This record gives sequence, C-alpha cells and structure tokens, in this order.
Amino acid sequence: MSKIQMFEKPLGMRDSFPEVNEQKESIRSIARDFIRTKGYDFIKTPSVEYFETIGKASAIDESSLFKLVDNQGEMLVLRPDMTTPIARIAASKLLKEKNPLRLAYYADVFRAQQREGGRPAEFEQLGLELVGDFSPYADSEIIYTAIELLKALGVESFQITIGHAEILTAFLTNNTDNTKQVEMLRQLLVEKNLVGFSQKLESMNLLEEQKERLMKIIDYTIESNTFTDFRQFLNDDQQYLIDQVEELQNLLEFQLNDFSIVSFDFSLASHMSYYTGMLFEIHAAGSGFSIGNGGRYDELFKKFDEKVGATGFGIRVDRLLEVLPKQIIKEKHTLLLFDKGSFSKANVLAEARRNASEYVTLQYIESVNDLEAFKQIFDEVVIVSEGGSLRE
Amino acid sequence: MNELTIAMPKGRIFEEAYKLFVQAGFNLPAEISDSRKLIVEAPDERIQFILAKPMDVPVYVEHGVADIGIAGKDVLLEQHRDVHELLDLHISNCYIATAGIPNTKMNEIAPRVATKYPRIATNFYKEKGEQVEIIELNGSIELAPMIGLADRIVDIVSTGQTLKENGLVEYEKIVSISSRLIVNPVSYRVKSERINIFVAQLKNELNKR
Repeated sequence: MSKIQMFEKPLGMRDSFPEVNEQKESIRSIARDFIRTKGYDFIKTPSVEYFETIGKASAIDESSLFKLVDNQGEMLVLRPDMTTPIARIAASKLLKEKNPLRLAYYADVFRAQQREGGRPAEFEQLGLELVGDFSPYADSEIIYTAIELLKALGVESFQITIGHAEILTAFLTNNTDNTKQVEMLRQLLVEKNLVGFSQKLESMNLLEEQKERLMKIIDYTIESNTFTDFRQFLNDDQQYLIDQVEELQNLLEFQLNDFSIVSFDFSLASHMSYYTGMLFEIHAAGSGFSIGNGGRYDELFKKFDEKVGATGFGIRVDRLLEVLPKQIIKEKHTLLLFDKGSFSKANVLAEARRNASEYVTLQYIESVNDLEAFKQIFDEVVIVSEGGSLRE
Repeated sequence: MNELTIAMPKGRIFEEAYKLFVQAGFNLPAEISDSRKLIVEAPDERIQFILAKPMDVPVYVEHGVADIGIAGKDVLLEQHRDVHELLDLHISNCYIATAGIPNTKMNEIAPRVATKYPRIATNFYKEKGEQVEIIELNGSIELAPMIGLADRIVDIVSTGQTLKENGLVEYEKIVSISSRLIVNPVSYRVKSERINIFVAQLKNELNKR
C-alpha cells in the first residue's frame, strides 16, 4: 500500500460539509417530528457491540463487519445495522415495560466496502421497528408509515414493491426436491439473475412440470387483486399465507389514496436473510440504488430467546439526499466586524439581529487576513466602529 | 411514455445487438453504428443510446445513468455489479477457457496464470483447489505462455483460431458466454411498465429464433 496522505480518510468514510450536514439535519428533524406523531419513540444504541451477540445475529455478512478487539481481548464490531441492537434492547428490557413496542432511530451504521473506495462504509439510516405484533395491521402500519414519511420528506416519485419470504420459500420448496436447490434458486432471485435462474433449472434434475411452474414465478408480476391465480401453486396448508397478503393489500388500499405506487412481486427475495413474512423494497427516481427496505423478521427474536412478532423498515439517508430536490435554504448570514473600541456596541447589535432570526457572525476585524474574500461569504456585512455602523 | 436510456457496447456486440433490435421491430435510425457520437437518439422509440466500452456498460447501469444495458456474461462475472440480468440475447456466443502450450503441466513451485479476467480465473482455480498466481494483462494474453510469463492463460475463446495460430491448445472450458440484457434495479421498479413492454418485444423475437 502506498503511504497515506494527510487528506485521506479510511476506505468508504466521508465528511459531511456544512451544506450537506444542514440538509441531513433538516431530514432528521422533519422525520423525527413526523414519526413521533405516529407514537414511535426514538432510541440510541452504542456504536460498538459484541461480535458474539450483535455481530453474529445481524443479517449483514461477516465480511462487511468492522471488527476490533477491546482491552479484555473481546471481539467487538461497529454496529452494522440498527435492527439487531434494537432487538437486543427490546428482548432484554423494553418489551417488559411496553408491549407492543414502537421504536425509531436515526443513526450511523458501518459496513466495510470491498469495492470502489468512494462507496460509503458509514452512513445514516432512518427507520422504525414495531415489536410485539404478529398481525397484518402491524405490517400495513409499517408500509403505510414508510410511504407517508417519504411524502413528508418531499420524495416525489417512488415505488414500493412487496413480496413475501414465506410464500417464496413455500413455492420453491413445493417444486424442488431438496433445500439445497431451494437455496440456489433463492440466491439467483436475490440477484434477480433471471437468465441464471432458468439455466439453473435446466441443469437441475426436476420434473418438467416442476420446471414449468418455477419459470412462472419469473413472469408473474402480480397486478393488484390477482393473488387468486397464485393460490394454485401452494398447498392447502399454505393458503393462509395468501390470506395474509390479501388482508395486507386490503388494509393498504383502505389507507392509500393512490395505490399505484404499491406493487406485489412474489419473486422478490432479500439478501437480508432474517425476513420471515412480508418484505418490501423502496425505489425512487433519482438514485440508481434502492433507498430503503423493510419487512417482518420474527425469526431474529429467537436468537434473543423471545417469541414475538416484529416488523420494520430502514431508509438510507445518503440515498435520500440524491433523490430529494436540492433545497435552497433561505437564511440570512450577517457579518459584524468590530475593532477594539466597538466591542460592546457590536455585541448589542448582534444580539438584536439574532433575535430577529439572522445568523450573525461576530468577528474582530484585525484577525481577518483576507478581508475582501471573507466578506464575500456573507449576505450582509456591517462594520461597527465607535462613531457608528457602516453597512456594506 | 418515459424515455429509456440504453447503454450499448461499442464494437462487434453492438452490430449484432443492433440487428436484433431492428428485427424485433424497433424503429432505429440507420446511422447509429457508423456515427462517432457517444449519445444517439431514437426519437420514434423514445430511446436514448449511450455508446460505451463493453467493460463499462454494467457500471452505467448499476449507477442508474442507463436504465438498460447490453453486456457480455464475461464482464458480468468479472465485475459482480448490482444489476438485474433479465434476458439471454444469444448473441456473441463464446466461452472462457484455460489454454497453454501443448503437453505442458503447471509449474509445481510457482504456477502462474495470465488473464484479462482475474476474478473469474481466481474463482476457477480456487474451486479446483489450486493456489496459483494470477497475472493481470490487458490484451494479447496469448503472448504470456509463449514467452514464459505464465503456464496457462484464462481467456475468451470464440473460434479457437487465435490460440491455434499462436501454437496454444485449450485445456479446460470454464463457462459459456453470451450477451445479456441487464437492467438497473430502480428502473426495473420505477419504469416497470415501459421496461416490461421492451423486454417482451425482444423476448418475442428471441423465441422465434
């Protein structure tokens, strides 16, 4: 490796300069106000957790974890997601006080990048978790809140694609001979490698009718209210899964004015392996990458010895920034320059202007090297002297 | 209807893909291929073509500056980009294989493999359980065994003519290659209707063949 230069940061780490930082703050405050009106409480968790607990329970691949060792020799990780730490807190403490539990977070998560150094390895995530509820009402609350939140933030054009982890597993299992085949096919669906999917089917030793049915899932983009067609692919004891999705659809249709932003796709599979029920992805025009995803993850709580239902979503703030229209922040920045004799007068003037919601910088004039360049940065410059104020 | 942006690889694949599009019924301007322009419009279809290096097509599509792209499976295997692979276009068919000087074995102490595809080569030898040194070259890979830089090469073979002319033989076939239609995951959802129609039209033509 070449010598590290003074300006360099570790791979994937980014600075947030004032302008971007303000945009993030504004997202945070809009989101916070909105989410709290829905009865969710914000929570913070440590940046560093044990590898043995959070690191292993997290759905993030081990190769993406930042690992370190503490002074006792314990392996630690920088938290790779927020869902797992929240599950830890909920299982060990908060669920005993409030059940069902509604929690929200806005936090940095860390995922090491192997490719293209510029990709962020630390980024802010904004999300909700609803713990202690198995019902479709909880699922629809999460999806509906995600939609409302995006609208509140000003995201104009986005799509929600809903799938169901258990339906996909049932469908794949019904038409293959073993779990190894199920896993191979699911992995190809996660990558949405449809060419690979059909080639893999050809190479598998399956009945023709099984292959035919499996191919159908590729072409099966479900327009709303045609789930009934899909029922034929599931056994009698699996029909309740379709009932669940239908109920979810009914609830969402009731809540949403415009249902066209929601579509269902049973071939949707996630790299987050812990999803057990409905799962969804959020795509918005303006970013080439998905801006968020969510779903039901009851399974995760088993790792913390709890049997509760849990559902939630997370949105990446850096991707959100790409999608949102550039905000023009209308703020007036004023520079008050004072010299030795005018300090007290400048203070009085600054106070008055701050009370009038101006952003006032108070600066001793002799300390500025390049006065002309410095003045350029501000909307208004006032030089305060003993005799009076000179406005420029 | 929304405009679609399609990233096309310049060169041989472009010619074949262009022919396929026209046969599938798309009304494309005739001068696309011999123009030196990097962005070409097909106004009748509301399609914009970006002409790119074959290796760069998946990059454009992954970042979403192109909704759709045409890329060789070799490039997709080498780069592992986050794109959806929707159709096998069955054009530019060839395969990746190992080759070397006839009747030779890999050097036992320091086995070396020269290739333009370090990732594919690494994975292949890893799966075979052999630890080899991979030497990345950008072209004229066949030189490597001839001048003693490597024992084997991993490269694309279409007719085998280049290998033959340079006195090399093929040893193992690694994977079949053809051109694929790839789609950006966000475009796939946000412009789904438009893309589904586009894909169906191509699929229709491919099924006839």
